[in-house]
Amino acid sequence: MPLDTSSYSLALLRLDGRRWNELRRIHAQISTQAAADGSSYLEMGNTKVLCTVTGPAEGRQTGQRGGKDNEAKVEVEIGFAGFSGVERRKRRNDKRTSEMQHTLSTAYSTLLLTHLYPHSTITIRLHILSQDGSLLASCINASTLALIDAGVPMTDYLVACTAASSSTSSESESEISDPLLDLNGLEEQELPFLTVATLGKSERVSVLLMESRVRMERVEGMLAVGIEGCKRIREILDGVVKGYGKRYA
Amino acid sequence: MEYFSLKRSNAADRGQTNLSSKVYVRSTKSGKVQKIVRELYLRQDIPCSSNLCKSCIEIAPTDYSKKVAPFILSDTPAGSKNFPHGQYLVPDTNAFLTGMDLFEVENALQDVIVLQTVLEEVKNRSLPLYHRLIALTKNEGKRFYVFFNEFRQETHVVRDAGETINDRNDRAVRKAVQWYSQHIKDAVAARSKLSKRVPSVVMISDDRDNLRKARLEGIAAHTLFDFVSGLSNADELLDMISAAEEKREVRSKKAEVFYSEHFTLSKMMTGVKAGTLHQGIFNVSPYNYLEGSIHVPAFDKSLLILGRENSNRAVSGDVVVVEVLPQDQWKAPSTKIIEEETVTKNDNAEAEDGENVVSERERRALQEEVKRIHGQSAEGKPQPTARVVGIIKRNWRQYVGHIDRDSVRSSSKSSRQQQIVFLVPMDKRIPKIRIRTRQAGELLGQRVLATIDAWERDSRFPVGHFVRSLGELESKGAETEALLLEWDVQYKPFPKTVLDCLPVEGHDWKVPTSMDDPGWRGRKDLRDLLVCSIDPPGCVDIDDALHARKLPNGNFEVGVHIADVSHFVKPNNAMDKEASQRGTTVYLVDKRIDMLPMLLGTDLCSLKPYVERYAFSVLWEITSDADIVSAHFTKSVIRSREAFAYEQAQIRIDDKSQQDDLTNGMRTLMMLSKKLRQKRMDAGALNLASPEVKIQTESETSDPVDVQTKKQLDTNSLVEEFMLLANISVAGKNYEAFPQTALLRRHAPPPKTNFEELDNQLKVKKGLELRTDSSKALADSLDTCVDPNEPFFNTLVRIMATRCMMSAEYFCAGTQAYPEFRHYGLASEIYTHFTSPIRRYADLEAHRQLAAAIDYEQLDSSLQSRGKLEGVCKNINVRHRNAQMAGRASIEYYVGQALKGKDITEDGFVMKIFSNGMVVFVPRFGIESLIRLRDLATPEPEAEFDAENYTLKVKGEVNRNVELFEKVKVRITDEMEESTGKRKVKLTLV
Repeated sequence: MPLDTSSYSLALLRLDGRRWNELRRIHAQISTQAAADGSSYLEMGNTKVLCTVTGPAEGRQTGQRGGKDNEAKVEVEIGFAGFSGVERRKRRNDKRTSEMQHTLSTAYSTLLLTHLYPHSTITIRLHILSQDGSLLASCINASTLALIDAGVPMTDYLVACTAASSSTSSESESEISDPLLDLNGLEEQELPFLTVATLGKSERVSVLLMESRVRMERVEGMLAVGIEGCKRIREILDGVVKGYGKRYA
Repeated sequence: MEYFSLKRSNAADRGQTNLSSKVYVRSTKSGKVQKIVRELYLRQDIPCSSNLCKSCIEIAPTDYSKKVAPFILSDTPAGSKNFPHGQYLVPDTNAFLTGMDLFEVENALQDVIVLQTVLEEVKNRSLPLYHRLIALTKNEGKRFYVFFNEFRQETHVVRDAGETINDRNDRAVRKAVQWYSQHIKDAVAARSKLSKRVPSVVMISDDRDNLRKARLEGIAAHTLFDFVSGLSNADELLDMISAAEEKREVRSKKAEVFYSEHFTLSKMMTGVKAGTLHQGIFNVSPYNYLEGSIHVPAFDKSLLILGRENSNRAVSGDVVVVEVLPQDQWKAPSTKIIEEETVTKNDNAEAEDGENVVSERERRALQEEVKRIHGQSAEGKPQPTARVVGIIKRNWRQYVGHIDRDSVRSSSKSSRQQQIVFLVPMDKRIPKIRIRTRQAGELLGQRVLATIDAWERDSRFPVGHFVRSLGELESKGAETEALLLEWDVQYKPFPKTVLDCLPVEGHDWKVPTSMDDPGWRGRKDLRDLLVCSIDPPGCVDIDDALHARKLPNGNFEVGVHIADVSHFVKPNNAMDKEASQRGTTVYLVDKRIDMLPMLLGTDLCSLKPYVERYAFSVLWEITSDADIVSAHFTKSVIRSREAFAYEQAQIRIDDKSQQDDLTNGMRTLMMLSKKLRQKRMDAGALNLASPEVKIQTESETSDPVDVQTKKQLDTNSLVEEFMLLANISVAGKNYEAFPQTALLRRHAPPPKTNFEELDNQLKVKKGLELRTDSSKALADSLDTCVDPNEPFFNTLVRIMATRCMMSAEYFCAGTQAYPEFRHYGLASEIYTHFTSPIRRYADLEAHRQLAAAIDYEQLDSSLQSRGKLEGVCKNINVRHRNAQMAGRASIEYYVGQALKGKDITEDGFVMKIFSNGMVVFVPRFGIESLIRLRDLATPEPEAEFDAENYTLKVKGEVNRNVELFEKVKVRITDEMEESTGKRKVKLTLV
């Protein structure tokens, strides 16, 4: 087995050769599916996500058509391709997936100007083609792009990324414990990390999720680095949208 | 409209040069094959870390706090014969695998570049070596730099189609060396045009193909052997290269095979799962080197492993897998002493001729055994025997021993000829180790440290290499170091990082005078209490102090005050880590190896008299019948009034004229302690014995003068009782607060089978019965084991019973069910160690937990994790045991020294009896020694051994009967063993 995250302190290099504050390569496209109202394809390193948006449209259920009287409902569906992980695995709707769906749908319900579309539903469908860490962050970024492509009005970009602390919770203070930005799959398994999503250029945090234990004093650094990362991702996504706009102007 | 294509993104990347990926296939434990794809970001800002280079300083990375790591490699590296301008070494993986000891020598090989490729390979091949290598890179003096060549654009190498992974890694190493030498050349040129001194970058590899290719590419490359030969102290260094690799070439021509092949890991695992094979730890009997035993869960009794063929290259301590032999090969455990020294005395270290594994002489020794057993009735109780089929994990460590004089061909000191010699380890259970050396002459008569490298099928003995010499045999320094190494005691001085954690005031530190000081927060002021400490004479690390006073309601307030070490040692700093590794202070006869630095242990924490000290106090309200009304725990400040030695305290208590409050307080303590002790005994606490002697040494030279048995005074048990009480109270409190993570101590009840033999011996020889159903029953029946004519007999039985016990252990509360917490020996439901935090790490952890339990401070995260604590427990259990062993070995050595040149006749008792000898215990000196038949007379007298009645009838001119438990007169002399040049205590029957 090659090295693990403990080798970070040797030369301040992470497992894939990045420094603590570097993002992975991000590649994004929008309008990839002609048939959808809005679509996007996003790669953060080896995490690859395809997103399509349908709506705002009339809801599927006949009884209750769309959302409440005064605003649109946001539905999120996440599907994993069988080949997305290291091992081929059938993934039914497990709790983790439903939690991600719920996180996304609450985040976008507040972000999107849903009051413009009463009695309707906006459906976001995410297809995970390949998983290598920062999955929730990738989903948020892909959804944002697809929603922009669909022309759903929103106040700003919702962008997300992950941040970790480079040494495990109970190790000593003397060891270097840099916050790390944008984790890959291997790092996620070994280090405590959080996912943070902010609204565009502002530092307003809209999603913050952490499932591992970490020393309280490390969180501040992790959060600061995460928010910084979000700002940079916003620049990149903005570039993609603008580039697309120019080409089809 | 642009359509989505999964492939397009990759196509677009192809132009990008700074991104590569690593694809590899791995198989999981369950046998599945996984294909892993990982990104690699190639970069140009990985510095060379040479102080010669100016350009790399600009690109050096910064961490989150904007700090830059200093450059490591010296600008004037040491040179050697071939490289007068100095060299940077780039070792290949095999160099580290074979020569790690060499690289660890201080001041020998410095300025080493460890490539990432090599580091990864080392990690794959051997985790312990990887950890040693990482430790080296952190050692500032050694100047080892890890260069991440796989991430640097110029040195990244992509595996070609059809190329093996080894070839690719070799190529990566060569490429890195090439880049480095060019880079250094450029750096020197950029520095000044005139400078001629360009250090060479030298690749060190034992791979011939790699060396050849390197030379073709114009890279300076050497084998480790060749390179070291060019250094000034080559002879000593060369011996340290592991023998494992070299040997393969030398001996491949003759394929004499002595041992059967080991099973593959998967075959063993399947067998163990199916129950056909068994896994356990291989132990060798200290009396018979050909007899091993292994305890496996499937059997109550241990399985026997007889002979070298069956033990199949397992060394005592290895985790092995065995196969049970058919019943007709079952045997009783040996009743004969077989020592390797005497049986294989004449084996030649160099000769590896067609001799069978079990040499003729060994075979004969075993044969007699078998005959005897078969001749016996069913009473002989044959035990299942087994054969080692494979080894799961080697537990090889470094062994201390001496060079066998007989195996040395030319012992001239000037001879530089390489020869193979035997190293005879101190530990009798370890086989001789074949060592290749050029300094045999010098090593004779020295204590030598060596390791085992390998034990191939075609070698009768394991092959190892020399690590270093500790000094003359029998010199105090060498012997002390030897036993510290042998018991793995960390004895190096504390590193600077640890000393940096000490309070800056040093010896001037005082309890703050102002009560507003943060140090006083949550502390009770107990300075007006009449506290005193009672310890062995000359004790400087005073852990505990006591007080007692009468309360208005007629009850007593008793306080135990323990040094507040946790105030000074904060969790997880360097000092705490060092202490947790050391685990305990080790007491040798002439030396103390501290767990904490002197400043704390003997001054700031120590509850010295007349000064104020921080303490952690346990206060009880106790009735005059010694019933506990309430217990209260608090951090405090105390001022001890006096530090007594046991004897002093005893005199003061007995002296009726002393009627001051302090003495009366001590009398109260004495009265209560006697009642507490009685209660404990009624509950079934055991009173066990171990042979304890005290060495009187001359104060200056610490040469032993006399040996005395330790005296037990009432004040000893006074202190002991209250310490036990404090430990029990704290254990209860900690468990209540942290039911999952409290650190406790348990003593499991011994399995019945442990006592079978002793019980039988007592029954046969003395008509006594040992009842072992509970600790109470055992305590009572031990009390009845008396011989009216021989007062010492009871102690002897207690000593032997102690050896049948399990050892007590530290554990983490969550790992056992509550009934398992029981401390068998103390007959207490729950127990921990709290009262000696200066010398035991467990106590320090208990202090932290108790401080959190009384809301004094937050519990550190390391004490909340069960996994972490289990690790701590495991370590301190081992350390605790080792410390005891080292202490005993030290006493043994000094007893030997005290008896030097003397000739004494003393009383002894027969403890164990064999068909060709016996073990005799001499209480006066606490020594236990073998007397073999051949020591009684020459030629060795015939003897008749009756295993059922434990008697040995010696015939011939000696003509006497020896029985178990018999009191015998023995003559104690010391003798120089000819083969080893080692002095030994020798006993003979008179």
